[in-house]
Parts: sequence; structure tokens; C-alpha cells
Amino acid sequence: MRPSRRAFLGGALASAALVPFGTAAAAPIDKIKANGVLRVAVYRDFEPWSWKRDGKIVGIDAEIAEAIAKKLGVRAEPIDFLADEGVSDDLRNMVWRGSLVGGTVCDVMMHVPVDRAFALANDRAVIGAPYYREGFQMACGLDTDCEVAPAAFKGMRLVAELDSIPDFYLSGSFGGVLRPDVKHLTSGQAAIDAVKTGDADVAMASRAQIEHALHGGSKTVKVRKGPLPALPSAGWDIGVAVKDDSRDLADALDTMIAGFRTDGTLDAIFARYGVSPKMPISI
Amino acid sequence: MTFRMTRAAALLAGAAMMATTPLAAAVKDAAVPAATPAAPAAPPMAGAGPTDADLMSDASTPGDILTYGMGPKAQRYSTITQINDTNVARLVPAFSASLGGEKQRGQESQPIVYDGTIYVTGSYSRLFAFDAKTGEEKWQYDARLPDGIMPCCDVVNRGAAIYGDKIIFATLDAHMVALNRNTGKVIWNKTLQDYAAGYSNTAAPIIVKGKVIYGNSGGEFGVIGKVEARDVNTGELVWSRPTIEGNMGSLNGKDSTITGKTNASWQGDQYKTGGGAPWLGGTYDPDSNLLFFGTGNPAPWNSHLRPGDNLYTSSTLAINADTGEIKWHYQYTPHDGWDFDGVNEFIPFDAKIGGKMMKLGAQANRNGYFFVLDRTTGKFISANPFVSKTTWAKGYTKAGRPIFDDTSRPGPPSTEKGTTVFSAPAFLGAKNWMPMAYSGQTGMFYVPSNEWGMDIWNEPIAYKKGAAYLGAGFTIKPLYPDHIGVLRAIDPATGRIAWEYNNKAPLWGGVLATAGNLVFTGTPEGYLKAFDAKTGKELWKFNTGSGVVGSPVTWTQDGEQFVAVMSGWGGAVPLWGGEVAKAVQHINQGGALWVFKLPKS
Repeated sequence: MRPSRRAFLGGALASAALVPFGTAAAAPIDKIKANGVLRVAVYRDFEPWSWKRDGKIVGIDAEIAEAIAKKLGVRAEPIDFLADEGVSDDLRNMVWRGSLVGGTVCDVMMHVPVDRAFALANDRAVIGAPYYREGFQMACGLDTDCEVAPAAFKGMRLVAELDSIPDFYLSGSFGGVLRPDVKHLTSGQAAIDAVKTGDADVAMASRAQIEHALHGGSKTVKVRKGPLPALPSAGWDIGVAVKDDSRDLADALDTMIAGFRTDGTLDAIFARYGVSPKMPISI
Repeated sequence: MTFRMTRAAALLAGAAMMATTPLAAAVKDAAVPAATPAAPAAPPMAGAGPTDADLMSDASTPGDILTYGMGPKAQRYSTITQINDTNVARLVPAFSASLGGEKQRGQESQPIVYDGTIYVTGSYSRLFAFDAKTGEEKWQYDARLPDGIMPCCDVVNRGAAIYGDKIIFATLDAHMVALNRNTGKVIWNKTLQDYAAGYSNTAAPIIVKGKVIYGNSGGEFGVIGKVEARDVNTGELVWSRPTIEGNMGSLNGKDSTITGKTNASWQGDQYKTGGGAPWLGGTYDPDSNLLFFGTGNPAPWNSHLRPGDNLYTSSTLAINADTGEIKWHYQYTPHDGWDFDGVNEFIPFDAKIGGKMMKLGAQANRNGYFFVLDRTTGKFISANPFVSKTTWAKGYTKAGRPIFDDTSRPGPPSTEKGTTVFSAPAFLGAKNWMPMAYSGQTGMFYVPSNEWGMDIWNEPIAYKKGAAYLGAGFTIKPLYPDHIGVLRAIDPATGRIAWEYNNKAPLWGGVLATAGNLVFTGTPEGYLKAFDAKTGKELWKFNTGSGVVGSPVTWTQDGEQFVAVMSGWGGAVPLWGGEVAKAVQHINQGGALWVFKLPKS
């Protein structure tokens, strides 16, 4: 509900840290290899990136984590976690401090935005190795004209993830005329699924969520081709984060992901989930 | 959040079905007819401990402390005068008992005292039973908390409830646990909500007519608030009352009534995720059989996305204790945009207003105003500022509506940083969770308050669950260089402040008033202090070795008066940085019960 207040908290704790890091500690990669396990934090209920299918964590992020572990010669152990109020909180909980109740931190966290200002504000984590460029899209049922000015969707059944930019865009833009028509769901995936099943006319979600939902062809959904006027996000890059004392791991991940980009590993993983491997711009 | 709510409901149903063995254990003692007309399903245990009637008369029985607030009205007032303004300076420790372990975070608990035992809850959902004469530990219960719980503001617990052979408390993983008060063994343990969806409980439950009554948390995650009642002997749900209009309540396993009127003050389906969590618990007026529960602020946080009053967020709800029906409501901050939740305790009291004796209730709100309402109808009587700066409103109309200052409302979410708005009080409130006291001797309320404001601005580069997001940035700032905390004595009839005591660090502990013309409260600097209730003169202090953020109590035992308080720094304050951190950064953590008395000679 109030992400950057907690983000601020993360920053405050970071600057108040008294203990110097990286002193006389074994190199993290050596420790990971000695343990034989790479602990990877992935978001919970986050299709197509990481979610549970038949009790197993699957998804694009989970598979990239496996590819990383394989390269390191260890086993990947995905840890799925509930998103906190903001990614800064997630970094604190999963990467550099752990939760107040004792959960241990992970070696790597997937799906972290690669953004210079964000990285500066979260300097207890090292963020990099981008593997995707994300953005928001709109999709409609076949009977709905998806290319009209958004205000013309008034009276239709609109769906978006609660408290997300698609929610703010539909509920808050155009003088709020669409607000009474917006139904709030728990994820972008649920929103696009509602259009698929005919329970809604228009959904707004991330590009990956929409492409994944249409994987294998959909006879009921089409994607808006025109731009979304006044959409407050031009897109963002997605990468990984490690703790600030694990720079050797961060460097290795940069090299590894770059390799996955050229050797077809990423293309193959994205293809399995119907998502086009959009290149990050911060390479 | 429909999915998460459904999952929590499924868990509740599952837990209900499995609760057979503990139930059998709980009723092995022969039941004796209740002294008061309790629900037929919940006869109090025979001679096994406090009854409903005992709980209701707690404020007039100096030999024990059976309820959170020292009586169902939670006035935190004792009639005992043995320790008084003439001799409190001689107060000395009788004993101290450590909570031990590495789990030394905030200790916000209030002790319960019964039959030679002091029961206190500790950080990380622990419950301790100490010998009230020696401080020796009798037993300890340690809730096994799962990884992945997400308490918003430290791992505190505020206290337990006692009934018959049971001592009952809520845990950080959103369970309610009933223990045998002699052995610490579990009698029942119920899942209230799904911790994995971000729920967590910290408040002390209240027991009324054989029902354990509590509010849920989780306002941070866009769910809706609920006040619920469970059978004290079995833990089974009796009624549930959503705090947001448009949502269906339940009674005895069936749908009861919808809260308020659907879409009267919310647009679209926003009422399904509107917040309003009553996370701090409630008080009770036995005369009218009404529970008073305060509700949290609305969701989403940015007010421009949810036009309307957003009922019943930031309100006090008067709820029938038998059925869960709402009798009246009063909304302190309609259409909140500053995080002014309304959860603070509503304390019933009687006083003369305009020469006429009235049944009243008072609340010191996060928004900086001290409210007096008619507790039988919810009618607005008065609202007066109890801190030095309230930028968001210019006052209240006679009808009880705030006169907003629109220039101080944070703007709609946008990609521009835009203007920074300075707003006081800050989001941690003019008064946060720490309970005030009402002295039946002086007729004054003693309110622990904090003088701080905040800068708020739109934050264009935020991220949430791996995605771009439009957030807001905050910094909390003290208003004065030399103090943040202020303990104030307020005359509820006039709103006039009789005296105030300034403290460098923010006040974060509860207050106790006694007929010995005394007021006790703790400070983050580690002191438990006693003040002259009429003048505010500091009469005594003792440093407990860590910050005091618990609520003090007093009782008599073998003819001697005792005062007890928990020590252990923590809570939400140290989690925030900025200039406020400077006032508290050198405070050491701890975890101990301290008990005081007068020397015998």
C-alpha cells in the first residue's frame, strides 16, 4: 500500500549499518560450490515468472535460476516469497538482511528492476545481469474494439491487478471516469485470464503476462496495437540481485546471463512460456 | 485480494474441522452454571479461575488484573492509594524477571495478575508465567513461528486475556492460542488468518460473555478489516463483522447482515479491498453491551484513487457483543489521505457536559484531535487538538466533520515528483498504539503523544513485485529540537490541557493512573516515571536498563501495593530513520518484567 515508505526504511537501515562487510569472509561462489546449493528467491504466485504447478515451482525466473545453478555446478533451490510493499523491502527480506523472524537470506533474487536510481537507493544489494525488458499492455475480448481512446471503455468490464500501475491507470486517469467499472484482481495473470474466459472485456497487465496467457493461440483475446496515452511507464529492465558482499557472484552472473542471451538459453526458456525474449536496454 | 481472502477462509474452515481433541481436554472439568447469562455454548469453567463477572468487575478488584486496560472500559485506573504522591519517591524494585534468549525486541505487553501469578506476553509471540511473589518463572510458551511471516512493525505482542483455566493470546502468524494457565499446555489453537498472505496479530484480545473478541490486521495488504468473536472454550467462530461497508457479516455459521450500504461511500469494487483493519483490539461498556473497536485507514493509500468517505475506515464502531451488529459509527478522518488510522482505544467514561451527566467515550486519534462522543449513540460532542500542530484540518464542525485544509492533502499518484507536502502529525500519529489512562479521581485523561510531522511527495521511480509502480516518499521529522514525546493531562469536558511533560525520545508506552494522585508511564530512555496527577510534577523515576514501551499496572498482594511494567526497546519507532532515529539510536534492547513496591521499613 505504501511501498516507498518502506523503501525509505530500507535505505535508512542501510546507511545506519555499522558493521563493515566483506571482511575476511570466504568468496560467496566458493561457499555456494561447497554447499552444492544455490538458494534463489522468486516471487510467489507470479505466473509466468514463478509459480507453483503440481507442487513444484516453475516459470521463466525459476528456469533461469536453474540454468545459473547448472553453470555453477550446483543444485538450484528456489524459495518463493510473498511480495512486501515494495521491491526495496523484498531485497531487505530476501537478499541482504533476512526477515525479522529469522529467515535466512538467499544467494540470488530474481526479477529485480535494473534501474540506476533504484540501485543507488538500495546499495546493500548489487543489481544487474538484465534478462528482459518489461512493460504494460492492454488486451480485449474479440467483441471489444481495443483501439479506442481508453475513456471510451466506460461501462465495460475492466480488470487489473489491485494497487498496480494498470489499476492506477484505469482507476485514476481520464478524470476517473472508468473507476466504477474496474474490477480488482490479485494478479495481472488473473486479469488477462478473466478476459480469456469472457468474464471481462478489457484487461491491462504486463507484456509477459499477456503473451503468456495467449500462448498457443487464443480465440477469445486480442492485444491492443496502438499506444496507451499518458501511460506513466515506458518499460523497465529486469535482472537479478545479490548481497553487496557477493560481488564475485554478481560479476559471474553478468557474464552468465550475457552468455545465455547469445547461446539461445534465454530464447528457449522464454519460448516455453510463450513470451517473446524482449532485449533489455541497459545491457 | 480475493484470492488471498479465499485462501484464508479455506484455512479457517480447515482448522475448525480439526479442532476435536483440544476441545475434549478443555471441558474435562465439570461445568457449573454461569454467574452471568453467557451464551449457552460457553459455560465458564467450574471454580477454575476468572469468570465473566470477574472480568467485568476487574476495575474494582485491586487484588488482581484480569483484563487488558484494567477493566473492560480500559481506563487504566486503580483506586489503590498505598503508593501515593507523598511516598512514591521511595519506590524500589521488588524483583525483575528476564524473558531471556536472543529475542530481545520491543516489549509492548501489559501484565495480567491472578492467583499469585503474573502473565506477560513477549516479543516473538511468547507467553510467560512468573511467580508474583518472587519473579521465578513457572512456565513459558514459545509459539513456533514459521519463516515468511511479515509483521509490519516489529515482532511485538501487547498482552493476553484470562478466563477460567485459560490464558489466551494472539500470535504473529495470526493464530489465537488458549493455554492452560497453570501448565502452559495448549488447550486450543486456531488459525485466524493466513500468515502467508501477510496477516499477523499483535493486540490483546478482550473476553466478553464467554467470547474472545479481536480484530484482524493486514491493512497493509489491501484486504478488509474484521472484528470477530470466538467461543472462549472451543475457539469456534461465533460472529464476524467486516468493518468496510458492502461486505457480509456472519453469525453462528450463517450470513448475518451486510455492513453499511454497498457503494454508498466507495466506487466500483474498491470496498472489497478497502482496508480498515481493527488491529489494536477493543473496549467494552457492560451497561450498553457495546464493544468499541477502532478501524484502520483505507486502501489504497493514495486518497485520489478512492473518492468518498470510505466508510467505516478511520472510525470507531460500536458493536453489539452478542450478535456482531453495528449500533453506531463515528468516522474521525473521512477519506483519509495521511495514514491516520482510527484504531486507538475508545475509553468509556461518565462526566458532566454543560451541567448534565452524560455517558461518554473518548479517543485520542492519530490525526491529533482528542474526541469526546456520546457512547450510547455515537453523537459527536467535541474534538480538540492535543498536539501543537495539526496541518491537515482547521478544526471540526459542530456536526463532527473535519474542516480539511486541501493544500495539505498529498497529491494524486503521478510520474512527477511534484510538490512536497509537509503534514503534521506524521503517519506514526499524534498518538500511536500506546494506551492513555482516565483517572476517576481527577477526571483527566493522560495521553502519551508525539510531536512530529512528515514530508510527503510522489515517488515516480518505485517498484513493487518486480514491476514499476507509482508510490509516495516520506520522511518523518521532529517538530522541536529538544523533545518529541509529550505526556499530557487533558480535561475531557473542555479539551483544555492541564499540564504536559516533555520527553526527548518519542513516547511509545501505555499510561496508568491511580487514586494516589499518580500517573505512571515509561520512556524509551529506559525509565518508568511517576508524576503528580494534578500538576505533572515528576516524583519518581527508575531506569530499567532498556526502553519502556509496555503498559504499567498496579495491584495489591498480601497487603502491599505493587507496580509492574515490561522493559524492552522496540516497536515501530526504531524502524524509521531520519532525524527521529537520532533520538533513539543509542537505546539498547532488552526484555524483562520489572516489579516495584515500597520498602517495608
